[in-house]
Amino acid sequence: MGEIAEVLIIGAGASGAVAAKHLAEAGVGVVCLEQGREVSSDEFYGDKPEWELMSQRLWHPNPNVRGLATDYPIDTSESDVNPLMFAGVGGSTLIYAAHWQRFMPSDFRVRSLDGVADDWPFTYQDLEPFYDHMDVEMGVSGLAGDPAYPPMTPPPLPPLPIGRIGRLAAKGMNELGWHWWPAPQAIPSRAYRGRSQCARRGTCMQGCPEQAKASTDLTHWPDAIAHGAQLITGARVREITVNAQGLASGAIWIDRDGVEHHQRAEKVIVCANGVGTPRLLLLSGGDRFAGGLANSSGLVGRNLMMHPYAATVGYFDEPLDSWLGPAGQAIHSMQFYETDKSRGFVRGAKWNAMPTGGPLGMRSAYGGAPLEEAWGENLHRATQKRFGHSFEWGIIAEDLPDPENRVVLDDSLTDTDGIPSPKIIYRNSDNTEKLIAFHLDRQREAMEAAGAKSISTTTLMRDCGWHLMGTCRMGNDPETSVLDQWGTSHDVPNLHVLDGSTFVTSSGFNPTATICAIALRSVMHMIETRADQRVAS
Amino acid sequence: MNALSDTRRAALNAIGDVLIPAALGMPRFTDAGDVDAMVDHVLALRPELTGSLNQALDRVGAGEAAAAAAERLNREDPDGLATIGLVASSAYYMMPEVRQIMGYRGQEQRPATVDEEHDYMRDNLLQPVIDRGPIYRDPDSG
Ligand SMILES: Cc1cc2nc3c(=O)[nH]c(=O)nc-3n(C[C@H](O)[C@H](O)[C@H](O)COP(=O)(O)OP(=O)(O)OC[C@H]3O[C@@H](n4cnc5c(N)ncnc54)[C@H](O)[C@@H]3O)c2cc1C
Ligand code: SF4
Repeated sequence: MGEIAEVLIIGAGASGAVAAKHLAEAGVGVVCLEQGREVSSDEFYGDKPEWELMSQRLWHPNPNVRGLATDYPIDTSESDVNPLMFAGVGGSTLIYAAHWQRFMPSDFRVRSLDGVADDWPFTYQDLEPFYDHMDVEMGVSGLAGDPAYPPMTPPPLPPLPIGRIGRLAAKGMNELGWHWWPAPQAIPSRAYRGRSQCARRGTCMQGCPEQAKASTDLTHWPDAIAHGAQLITGARVREITVNAQGLASGAIWIDRDGVEHHQRAEKVIVCANGVGTPRLLLLSGGDRFAGGLANSSGLVGRNLMMHPYAATVGYFDEPLDSWLGPAGQAIHSMQFYETDKSRGFVRGAKWNAMPTGGPLGMRSAYGGAPLEEAWGENLHRATQKRFGHSFEWGIIAEDLPDPENRVVLDDSLTDTDGIPSPKIIYRNSDNTEKLIAFHLDRQREAMEAAGAKSISTTTLMRDCGWHLMGTCRMGNDPETSVLDQWGTSHDVPNLHVLDGSTFVTSSGFNPTATICAIALRSVMHMIETRADQRVAS
Repeated sequence: MNALSDTRRAALNAIGDVLIPAALGMPRFTDAGDVDAMVDHVLALRPELTGSLNQALDRVGAGEAAAAAAERLNREDPDGLATIGLVASSAYYMMPEVRQIMGYRGQEQRPATVDEEHDYMRDNLLQPVIDRGPIYRDPDSG
């Protein structure tokens, strides 16, 4: 049966790592179960000629394309967007782009300000000290003073250069009198706490071969383990167990030899991301919690938000070295972030100016078009036009919570251990479509002002579900939320969720800075109130 | 290693030259260096492509002109043609000869120098944004 862990964490990604480090440092006994394995930086292809070839398969962000045994497949037949993620120590941060964005104060007050969705159970000011703390732990590079935010503590490292693409994008924005700022990134511009200075390879989304980018296998797990946290990899959790008192008592997991184990625990924290966490809660609870554990509200899995992504690419005559990293963003803009109802929709989006990568691009996507369009002389023409001579303005579009957009258990699809897979049901709303159309029009203007010789747009990229949010939302009312403001289940007092599932709204920002700040705030609260908590014995 | 039979390789190279001809200063597929070895390398790294590549190449008739075969495949088996294109272009853009012409050394290391930081401060590119002042909405004042 084994020992009873003081805290069991499920998932070793961003939120799980933050929780493990801080609990272990406070002397709490932690066991973490992670279905993936440890990945070493020399497995990444960013420093090898085969980088683009491998990014289309082994290092593709869509688990359905990778098809690895460590992933679970996902039924996306009823979704406009594919959810993207990675299973391993560090979770999806192994392949994230490390845009390190705070939400704005208004993001926590959407209902009060715009009459839609809900307010969060805390404010920007409540979260601010934890954002500051996470900036230091991750080694964020950025420039203080962005007028899109209230004054804040400067990040620990100077900003990475914005490069030729950033300067060109900025000139266009200045022409129009629009906001831009050197983008904050969880990528060190100087060597930092054992990590290298970013070498600008631009392969961040297929893993950083330089051990520079702040993925939590590098930033958090070494400290957690040094303080006694036990990390078990290849451990796929199939159910959270519940005792006679209705408390979480641990989890059943399967090792890579197919053997089942029961890890008992006084307290369980689920950090399996916005898809994996609702899947696991829906798989748990048995007869006592029909409809899933922690689900008396019926909202587990609902209100999935994934930030539909659209983009505008501008092509320029001058050489831009536009394969140079970081892959994420050189500058960002919040010019059209806040609501202006005269536009015909509410909320907005952050824009990010990004490089466009290597020469291969997405050749495999051309099948079926007239041959001469994609191949022959036009292949060379298109490559010469794009490669090294283009940049992308991307749109992180805020999608509003809609209970119909959801994660459910699939009837037939399973992972390699026979555990039912998640199925995604997700449609873009009218508000989102109007928002994207408006932003694409403005981006075209920004590209023209930057001097683009030609412009192309992608109205919705299907492989864009990088951000998985909302499926176990926080709130004060147990009837309309799954968790309280500390990520504790309203139904099961020793069960906690700390990943992106907790989000009440999605904002128009990449979410991981906020996921980590919320995880840290919740864990600190857990440590402070340790003596008063109900735990399973 | 020889990942393809001679017949299939001949078909791949012929169609490869149709898809990637000599033009605009770039060499055609089979003139880009030892593409046979690079194709083998691509298939070793992406073994899942081999099956659909072979199937597509087997549809090319003996003696069929490469351009006509490519057109026909694109109509009748677009996924197959796309696989041929993917294998050929992946190999092509990894050839050192091709990369040299393109001025691409791969995703090289190019750490930033201090001079590159803050250039937008030195030439005032960022100044107009600073001068316009705060743009965020304060929830307490609406
Ligand atoms: C390509 C890509 C680019 C991105 N870029 C950015 C960016 O620039 N900025 C940003 O803010 N965010 C970005 N993101 C999102 C970011 O990676 C996530 O927000 C973040 O990693 C989420 O943290 P998490 O703790 O919620 O989950 P994850 O990091 O996804 O970790 C969850 C972990 O739980 C494990 N797990 C799940 N189910 C089980 C189970 N049943 N048993 C055992 N283990 C399980 C998984 O294997 C995984 O390791 C990007 C994501 C992707 C995929
Ligand atoms: S650009 Fe920097 S962070 Fe990204 S992969 Fe290269 S070295 Fe790593």
